[in-house]
Amino acid sequence: MITDFPSAPLPLPSAEEVASELAALGGEALIPKELRRTLFPVITKEDVFNLMLSQRRAPEKVVADFAEAYRSYVGAAYALPTASGTSSLHLALVGAGVQPGDEVIVPAFTFIATAQAVVAAHAIPVFVDIDPRTYCMDPAAAAAAVTDRTRAIMPVHVHGLPADVPALRALADKHGIALVEDASHAHSARIGDRVAGSFGDAAGQSLMADKNFPLGGEGGIAFFATEEAHSRAAEYTVRHGIDYGMSWVAAAFGHSQLERLPYYDEIRARNSRLIADTLNSTGLFRAPYVPEGHVHAYNMYRITLLPEAVGLGDLPVWAVKEAVHELLVAEGVPAREWQNTPIPCHLPFTHRAGFGNGYPFTLNPGAVRDHRPEDFPATLAMLDSTLVLCRELRSPVEYERALRYADAFTKVARRPDAIRKLVEAGDYRRPYEKAARLG
Amino acid sequence: MELFDTATVLTRVMTSGVVMSIEKSDRELPGLERLLTKRTGRAHAVLVNSRSAAVHAALAGQGIGHGDTVSVPELSPKDAAFLAWLGVEVADEPGPAAFEHIALDAGRAHLLDEQARALRAPALVVDLTGLGFGPAAALLTDDRTVWARAERLKIFGAYDLRTMWTQEESETDLIPGVQFNYRLSPLVAACARMALSQAVRPLTTGAPS
Repeated sequence: MITDFPSAPLPLPSAEEVASELAALGGEALIPKELRRTLFPVITKEDVFNLMLSQRRAPEKVVADFAEAYRSYVGAAYALPTASGTSSLHLALVGAGVQPGDEVIVPAFTFIATAQAVVAAHAIPVFVDIDPRTYCMDPAAAAAAVTDRTRAIMPVHVHGLPADVPALRALADKHGIALVEDASHAHSARIGDRVAGSFGDAAGQSLMADKNFPLGGEGGIAFFATEEAHSRAAEYTVRHGIDYGMSWVAAAFGHSQLERLPYYDEIRARNSRLIADTLNSTGLFRAPYVPEGHVHAYNMYRITLLPEAVGLGDLPVWAVKEAVHELLVAEGVPAREWQNTPIPCHLPFTHRAGFGNGYPFTLNPGAVRDHRPEDFPATLAMLDSTLVLCRELRSPVEYERALRYADAFTKVARRPDAIRKLVEAGDYRRPYEKAARLG
Repeated sequence: MELFDTATVLTRVMTSGVVMSIEKSDRELPGLERLLTKRTGRAHAVLVNSRSAAVHAALAGQGIGHGDTVSVPELSPKDAAFLAWLGVEVADEPGPAAFEHIALDAGRAHLLDEQARALRAPALVVDLTGLGFGPAAALLTDDRTVWARAERLKIFGAYDLRTMWTQEESETDLIPGVQFNYRLSPLVAACARMALSQAVRPLTTGAPS
């Protein structure tokens, strides 16, 4: 039987191990190779049983019941279940009234699906820089990008931290344009009592099985503030012969997962606090910033490096980052860059072939820009100086594993000498000078 | 397919813990791809999450996009609407079909082999939705370039599901301009594979002619 049940437990943390030689320099790794697999998602007997029961129900009813349950959890007025996060974003834009040739303002830092959904809606993505602390869309940059052809602003709640919705809402209202959320990282994220997905005129959200709230494989959901927007999106798929329907298999899996989402949220918040306490004590690392009143969902956990705090301020931060990355991976911590290039500098937005022959970019040539990475300094500074944990804080990450991740950051931060040696011997390039990575 | 068999397949995949198409250890999607290519005699299969996704993959795979004109005999109103949305025009005069299609359901799954072998278009759209596990489809082709472009269309231009995180490659014309997530769930793929594996020609009665 092929099973995801762990083959062995991790040993408990040990002060001696933290003080031992770095794994990259011949010491023992804090997390042995055979114990590094990060299980995700949690699949329980409830999920299996629910799928068994769902076989006897009408497929459309299984999907509709799931969508209604999750809509109620989010607090959005209307919902449309879809096959993927990308299709949910596409329909959110359509529901919000985006028309061919319209401009939609999106952040330069996000997963590429945000911008591709705009192209799918036959509209033009207009890229703006991010806030240097939250890594979400900078409202001032968005304001500067508004034109007569702007139809929507689409902020992304990056990594699970809600964007500055009050400022962006005010901007949208000022210009009479729509606010459309990309909530794909932000399941259960909140500002005050409101949940991400319910802030805007419409929202799209990925529910693929790699997200904090996983369905059985692939899925997404679009939310709408009005019945008119919901109807516009639903009618659009019929009129254009587009199949964006969700599988009942994915929906049934999600229905039982939804009941456990609050538990998952608490585990992630707990693990994030644990890691943050350690990171902030090292000097070299700093935990993510969370504005007052915002609840971060921690779909990803972006860690900032501060080389100057450990006497490495004379070295390029991106080189320090890459050296630290190597040291962490050697210890068994699967840290990642998660993106290395602003989205407007990825091939689809430099070539701009679109659906073919440049469509829809040809509809509005005035909105098109030939961007260089340097056009987005806050994005570049973030890419230069941060590393990311992805599944590593989520349930079912065991408490002892979270402790070992924390210990690994401590172990590496204690060795600025090793970091300096790697940087001086290495041939490191800035992140965006390498092949663009989707994730 | 019997409910017990569906339950067994779903339980098996969930016990493995691998329910994502982007997992390196997924075996369900490659398993369905192998079955489809073996049954149909086509060299390559691209699994996607709907019929319209397969139509899109069939066209994009051949480099057909907005502003181009194709010939597709027996085009359904729904497919015609989708082609119009893509900006692909349909020729008034008949010509070689850009793609042909087969729609399978539980009662017709056994016909896949002979239907596929009777068709000649460079891209074959096989709609698996009727099997009963949700929207699902495949593009089948003998042309490696068609396959390569279609694979990249369904996952943001990436090389494949297991090395998906870079768009860098030598042939940049394989990278589609507009990109989607058309990925199929391994759970759905596993059920479809079981249904196709079990498909048998119905017993007939009466004297042979």
